[in-house]
Amino acid sequence: MTAPAPPRCRVNGRSVDLGDVPPGERLLDTLRWRLALKGTKEGCRTGSCGACTVLVDGKSALSCLTLTREIEGSAVTTIEGAPDDPEGARVRAAFEAVGALQCGYCTPGFVMALAGLLKERGRGGSFDELLEDLGGNLCRCTGYAAIVRAAASLRTEEAEP
Amino acid sequence: MTEFDLIVPSTPDEAVAVLHAHPPEEVAVLAGGTDLLFDLDGGRLRARHVVSLRRLPWRTLDWNGATLTIGSTLPLRAIENDPDVRARLPGLYTAVRAVGSVALRHRATLGGNLGRASPASDLVPMLLALDAEVELVGPSGERTVPVDRFVEASRKTALRPSELIRAVRIPEARPSAYLWQRVRPFHDISHMAVAVAFSPAGARWRVAVAGFPPRPILVPAAEAALGPAHPSDPDLERAAESIVREAPIVADRRASEEYRRRLVRPLLTRAVRACGEELR
Repeated sequence: MTAPAPPRCRVNGRSVDLGDVPPGERLLDTLRWRLALKGTKEGCRTGSCGACTVLVDGKSALSCLTLTREIEGSAVTTIEGAPDDPEGARVRAAFEAVGALQCGYCTPGFVMALAGLLKERGRGGSFDELLEDLGGNLCRCTGYAAIVRAAASLRTEEAEP
Repeated sequence: MTEFDLIVPSTPDEAVAVLHAHPPEEVAVLAGGTDLLFDLDGGRLRARHVVSLRRLPWRTLDWNGATLTIGSTLPLRAIENDPDVRARLPGLYTAVRAVGSVALRHRATLGGNLGRASPASDLVPMLLALDAEVELVGPSGERTVPVDRFVEASRKTALRPSELIRAVRIPEARPSAYLWQRVRPFHDISHMAVAVAFSPAGARWRVAVAGFPPRPILVPAAEAALGPAHPSDPDLERAAESIVREAPIVADRRASEEYRRRLVRPLLTRAVRACGEELR
């Protein structure tokens, strides 16, 4: 029997060796402390606030509730990788266009959650569904009006040919 | 958090064998992990071995006529994204969307929700009203248990040592609805919830209430009061009264008993009327 290949995943296109990652380590800690990608924020650490949202294989995931070893073989995109991701770049531009942030702490999570929704649904879904689907991301500054405006602008752009 | 090692079996047989090889109190089973990780963090669960189900071939969703079988490790998001679930089991669609957030539902699973048996589960009441059954695999073979017998109490199930949930089977498409009351509309825990479904095959209603410990429950008296298909306003009133009178609703830190009992009538009425629109 040949020795198994060391477990790996990709983060923003870069291959990462997971061989040294303890079984209990969260993706959030791997990103921030092992890979020094501090864009992903720790809010509640209980899956309640969405600040730590990243994409795993194009789908939004709470990095505080994800064991790093469990995403072996997957591709992770964080806010640092958003400019190189088509949907991430579009969401970023929409946030910039309307100034959709106050303190900015929740912004990486909102951007990645919206990028995931765009990948999944494209133009589809109603405005109410969009609000429901953003319900997992909290803005402690309560700066929701501009965030929703940015999100809605993405939807309209897509919906209108 | 206690230290543990992560075991990732490749087949169901291997998974059952791994569970069998360790004392039950030393092993935890990991599906999506969105609930389990809290207990590992908080030290309420001191597992030395965590068995991940991620390589098992159970991320499935199969319609066979009107019967739906959902693999235990399928992320919840895949259930709500199935157009047939939305059209043929609207109550299940709503109940799934009542769980956590989109990002949480990308990892959370039906098997995990049942196996963890949270008293606040939004899925168990709907599965009760749909007469769902749980397919189990273990060292002595396979068996099927109705959800009503599977979920025994808060955090307690009929799972035997070394058994795993393979799938959940919903016997028929049903007009159905799930309504809840909470502080925030999304990504919150229901203070009180009502799941209703009308069985075309049995020509009868199923009604479950939830949101309070120790577990969601069916209320047969309410089902009888609703009668066949289209209940009248007095039928609805009697059904609501029977729940208020008979359901073992209690207070906890989230809501008082009185508040919960007051919520029964509006939730039940709206839920049944939502189904009524489909029945027409």
